[in-house]
Amino acid sequence: MSESAHIRVTVNGSPIECDVEPRMLLGDFLRTTLALTGTHFGCEHGVCGACTVIVNGDSTRSCLMFAVQADGGTVETVESLGTIDALHPLQEAFRTHHALQCGYCTPGMLMTALDLIRKRPLANDAEIRDGLSGNLCRCTGYQNIVIAVREAAKVIRASNL
Amino acid sequence: MKPPPFKYLAARTLDEAIDALACSDGEAKVLAGGQSLVPMLNFRLLEPAWLVDINRIPGLDGIQDAAGSLHIGALTRHKTTENAPLIADAFPIVTAAMSHVAHFGVRNRGTIGGSLAHADPAAELPMLAMLLDASITTQSGKGKRTIAAKDFFRGSLATALEPTEILTAVTLPKLPPATGWSFEEISRRPGDFAVAAVAVTITQQGGRCTDARIALAGVGATPIRFPQAERTLIGQTIDAAMANAAAAIVRDQCEPQSDLQGSADYRRHLVGHLVARGIDVAAGARS
Amino acid sequence: MLETTRPKLVGASVKRVEDPRLLTGQGAYTDDFRPNGMLHVGLVRSVHPFARIVHINTAEAKRMPGVIGIFTAADIDGAAKPILATSKMKEYRAVPLPILAKDTVHHVGEAVVAVVATSRYLAEDALRKVEIDYEPLAACTDPEEATRPSAPLVHPSLGSNIALAREFVRGDVPAAMAAAQVRVKGRFRFFRKAALALESRSYLAEFNGGRRELTLHTSTQVPGIVRESLAELLDLPGNSVRVIAPDVGGGFGAKTSVYPEEILVCVLARRLGKPVKYTSDRLEDLSSTSQAFDEVIDAELGVAADGTLLALSADVTGDVGAYSVYPWTAAIEPVQVVSFLPGPYRLANYLGKVRGVITPKVPLGPYRGVGRPVSTFVMERLIDMAAVKLGIDPVAMRLKNLVREDEFPYKVASGIVWDRSAFIECLDAACQKADYAALRTMQHAARAAGRWIGIGIASYAELTGIGSKIPAAPGMPVNTGTETATIRIDATGAVTAIFGVASHGQGLETTLAQIVADDLGVRMEDIRIIQGDTAGRAYVTGTYASRSTVLAGGAAKLAAGAVREKVMLAASHLMEAAVEDLDASNGIIFVRGTDRRMTFKELARKVYVEFSRLPKELQQELEATRLYDPVVGTTSSASHIAMVEVDPISYQVHVLRYVVAEDCGRVVNPMIVEGQVHGGVAQGIGAALLEEVVYSEDGQLMTGSLMDYVLPSATGIPMMDVLHVEAESPSTLGGFRGMGEGGTIGAPAAIANAVSDALSPLGIEINELPATPERIFRLVEQASKQKR
Ligand SMILES: Cc1cc2nc3c(=O)[nH]c(=O)nc-3n(C[C@H](O)[C@H](O)[C@H](O)COP(=O)(O)OP(=O)(O)OC[C@H]3O[C@@H](n4cnc5c(N)ncnc54)[C@H](O)[C@@H]3O)c2cc1C
Ligand code: FES
Ligand code: FES
Repeated sequence: MSESAHIRVTVNGSPIECDVEPRMLLGDFLRTTLALTGTHFGCEHGVCGACTVIVNGDSTRSCLMFAVQADGGTVETVESLGTIDALHPLQEAFRTHHALQCGYCTPGMLMTALDLIRKRPLANDAEIRDGLSGNLCRCTGYQNIVIAVREAAKVIRASNL
Repeated sequence: MKPPPFKYLAARTLDEAIDALACSDGEAKVLAGGQSLVPMLNFRLLEPAWLVDINRIPGLDGIQDAAGSLHIGALTRHKTTENAPLIADAFPIVTAAMSHVAHFGVRNRGTIGGSLAHADPAAELPMLAMLLDASITTQSGKGKRTIAAKDFFRGSLATALEPTEILTAVTLPKLPPATGWSFEEISRRPGDFAVAAVAVTITQQGGRCTDARIALAGVGATPIRFPQAERTLIGQTIDAAMANAAAAIVRDQCEPQSDLQGSADYRRHLVGHLVARGIDVAAGARS
Repeated sequence: MLETTRPKLVGASVKRVEDPRLLTGQGAYTDDFRPNGMLHVGLVRSVHPFARIVHINTAEAKRMPGVIGIFTAADIDGAAKPILATSKMKEYRAVPLPILAKDTVHHVGEAVVAVVATSRYLAEDALRKVEIDYEPLAACTDPEEATRPSAPLVHPSLGSNIALAREFVRGDVPAAMAAAQVRVKGRFRFFRKAALALESRSYLAEFNGGRRELTLHTSTQVPGIVRESLAELLDLPGNSVRVIAPDVGGGFGAKTSVYPEEILVCVLARRLGKPVKYTSDRLEDLSSTSQAFDEVIDAELGVAADGTLLALSADVTGDVGAYSVYPWTAAIEPVQVVSFLPGPYRLANYLGKVRGVITPKVPLGPYRGVGRPVSTFVMERLIDMAAVKLGIDPVAMRLKNLVREDEFPYKVASGIVWDRSAFIECLDAACQKADYAALRTMQHAARAAGRWIGIGIASYAELTGIGSKIPAAPGMPVNTGTETATIRIDATGAVTAIFGVASHGQGLETTLAQIVADDLGVRMEDIRIIQGDTAGRAYVTGTYASRSTVLAGGAAKLAAGAVREKVMLAASHLMEAAVEDLDASNGIIFVRGTDRRMTFKELARKVYVEFSRLPKELQQELEATRLYDPVVGTTSSASHIAMVEVDPISYQVHVLRYVVAEDCGRVVNPMIVEGQVHGGVAQGIGAALLEEVVYSEDGQLMTGSLMDYVLPSATGIPMMDVLHVEAESPSTLGGFRGMGEGGTIGAPAAIANAVSDALSPLGIEINELPATPERIFRLVEQASKQKR
């Protein structure tokens, strides 16, 4: 076993301090050490995007980053968005437009979409599709995801969330 | 699909990273954006004893305008390269190509140094380095080296880098004024590695071509230039026939491989069309 | 205030009940469960397609950190019976599917050694230290070669590589063919594909030794079938086995079979007395989860001068891989191709032959649409080929031959009976929505400008909501035709409705609640739907074959009706009103036209808590269990129209327009139905253009990652228009027809026809799918050589 490293990281606003084995993938750290199982693995080799979280403000595949690399930084996961009773506008849009079926890709989609909404104009559907092209969904055929992101962007920008 | 154990060093300075590599007997790997290295670790295609993380080394990223060239730090993320006004001004072809490099989330972390050091034959940045006659700066315990792109790429996923060397920067000499360009890529899906990609620049003066460059990716073991085809354009007024003739040379000279993405014949077909179109476009309106 | 009945929920796009938890990361998929002391399994899988296991050395692996135990087939010998998929089909042979390979491995990816460790990381470290000596054996990977007498046998005990053979005959095909003015034929091929649910397979077993109780959390579509298997294979009574399919991340058919790893974790949990989990990674998924299609079909269609279909013949060879999956058997995919080949058309003469051939590859299993994506591809291609030859428009050609309203029920040449469904209406509606005439005009203009644009149509029909009279897979010895619902109002007035189906993305918690709410007269939020759990159920199976809305919906209606009757009887007593004057809505029971009312909560309290005050005949629980059997089920149908453009340089196909008109009977939730169609079409487009499991000639798997096995991404799927067409209500309870698979059935055919149409100026026919740029390139090369 390789020796462990001590890390401090802010996850969804809470400071966390603990020892991790260097090879522990950020996604496994979130899922097992912190029991934040909203982040999913769909491939563990960087293609599907299901594991996407936001690290230091950038959407990042948590299967391609080690937890130890997040030391000193901030991580936002799907659990940082809304709650069951008060969904985040992006989550609300996904629900309204039926942008999820099995829900497995959804956390990664949400975190990617959030980053896109924060950074890109998303002036048309083609831009939304391009931005989401690194996140695979096997259930929805993407149509409703595109619509949900389009509508959520409007709401979020209008309310400056 | 979990990575093998390794020892980890988050280097704080370039010297610390270089020392660590020097001490590791070639058993260490540099960790930059991790977008190519970590998948290989997860598949356990590699089992390095050490990972030397260079992400916390200050000054290793950033784009600087230095007399006649742009200097891009190895740790410059794809997202930065994609959005940098300095790049868009001097190398619009790079800006255009960046949207073909993987996806939004991957570009948030992937680095130019990582792309060059990884040397995927179907990657865009190595091909642009070839096209733009980049020079690649490296550093190790033995000192600094500057390697011309044409000497850097040695084979599929193989470069002139020593295991103890760190790629620190890449320098792109600016193109002469009145240089037109084109970038064409065919991939299975947008964001995938290229099945074939073609980059062309054409510099013209008084209606004649004074410099021409043609580079391919996804076709053969390394990104590649075609001096013979380029020479046929120089000194000429470029028209469709010239473009086709040059494209025919490239098509005949390239040595594509057959794989799941496509056969050698299909790639050759693509190359012929893309190069002809690329020359056309580069010689035409855009300059 | 006067109480009135609120508008029905059935038919409304009610927001999904499951969404809030899934959207906030509070869904619970199997891999999310982590009971104390849980151990992880890593599997050493075969790197050879076909080889004898000479020796296994686990000594070094056993010494690795965190390793609890290492198990070979010998180590678990006798702990579980192997899985055996039997069939009533005459010419069918199956071999037992072992939990771990014993003496021989039969495909790359077959599990050989299980490593149990305290984490998946450590398990993977150790499994690399297991040494296995193999002696590679010669095998045929090509199914046609594998049928030759000289071919080496994958399972010598079977005496043949042919796992199954069957023939369907109706009428006199040779005579009808001879009489046909036009005959079109082709060799069609649909390459192998993966279902590829985004959640890969995951199993967690817990064995309570004191109670002799086994609980399995599994990413399955069929918890009921898994429970029956576990009880049988592990020799436990059913009441000691509980199988739970929690949130499941897609299935698409590949999670309907019982997998060796599912049994393995139970064996290990029992052996080790600790919870044991196995979660497959993507490479393992691509090399061990059942796959689809992989058929070669030689087919010929004979047509009269006016376009009337006269005769069809087909010879199907399916590559079924190394084993027969349980319970569906290796027959399910190839036999369904032959059964459904005649499609929704009137056709008197049919000869269909099928063989399923064993090769050293991952077993074939059910995949969304089973057989019908392939049969529809072949039949719809033939129809278009004939239409071109006769100079008849493809729409007119279909309208001429689709079974007409007055001809239902129509018995298809293969024996299937089509229930009345909107065959013709769907085609009309799709054409109207797409503005077919305008599309053709556009196409002509584009073609004149040198663009390769094509329009493709596909019409099909499918059996859905199949009852007990027909097995969901040919010859399969398991009853898939019944569903049982238990509905209970408890002492707090809350409603629990328990089903045997297992939702894995379909939103069954929502649609079933809509049905129950309407029929009981309560609010959605008063209802909890329990599904995907075998606890306390006598016999359940799960969700597959577009059955859940029809069967569970029907059972829900029966049970809800029975409970409502009890509620009304009690209310009649308590409210001193005649039952006929009572109604219920929104959780309130009221006397029509008055302001007398009582909530379900008040009523429940009176029934259960103030029990003794009720007359004897009303002293009963507000609960009912009802079984529903639609006997033969019903028919769903649809027409798809696709417009595509082929890039003249890259030969990539871009889908420009996509319209689906489908008849799924009464639509419970239009939003969910459309979502199912979108997703199904996207998978069909993937199948038609991108997705292919590739084996090398010597049996190595070439597509072991998502870099190599290419799924459609957001940039490759167009916006689609989905229309619902309702024909006269089917005989199913509630008038529901199944619809989960349709999108995937129609899309490959529509795309293949559209691409053929686009390339028709070059004389190119798309008879192989997926139509990758590489394949189109070769066809274009060939065509231009022939021209020269
Ligand atoms: C889904 C997906 C799609 C992708 N598609 C594309 C694509 O279309 N085109 C494309 O070009 N790329 C693509 N990539 C790869 C991506 O661009 C990578 O970011 C890039 O290839 C490697 O950069 P990195 O910084 O992530 O390097 P790492 O993964 O950190 O390292 C890659 C290799 O380079 C070495 N290395 C890294 N930096 C240095 C250095 N400074 N000095 C010495 N050695 C170094 C490492 O040791 C390692 O061997 C894709 C990746 C993914 C996950
Ligand atoms: S799990 Fe990380 S990209 Fe697929
Ligand atoms: S909703 Fe199932 S994978 Fe996207």
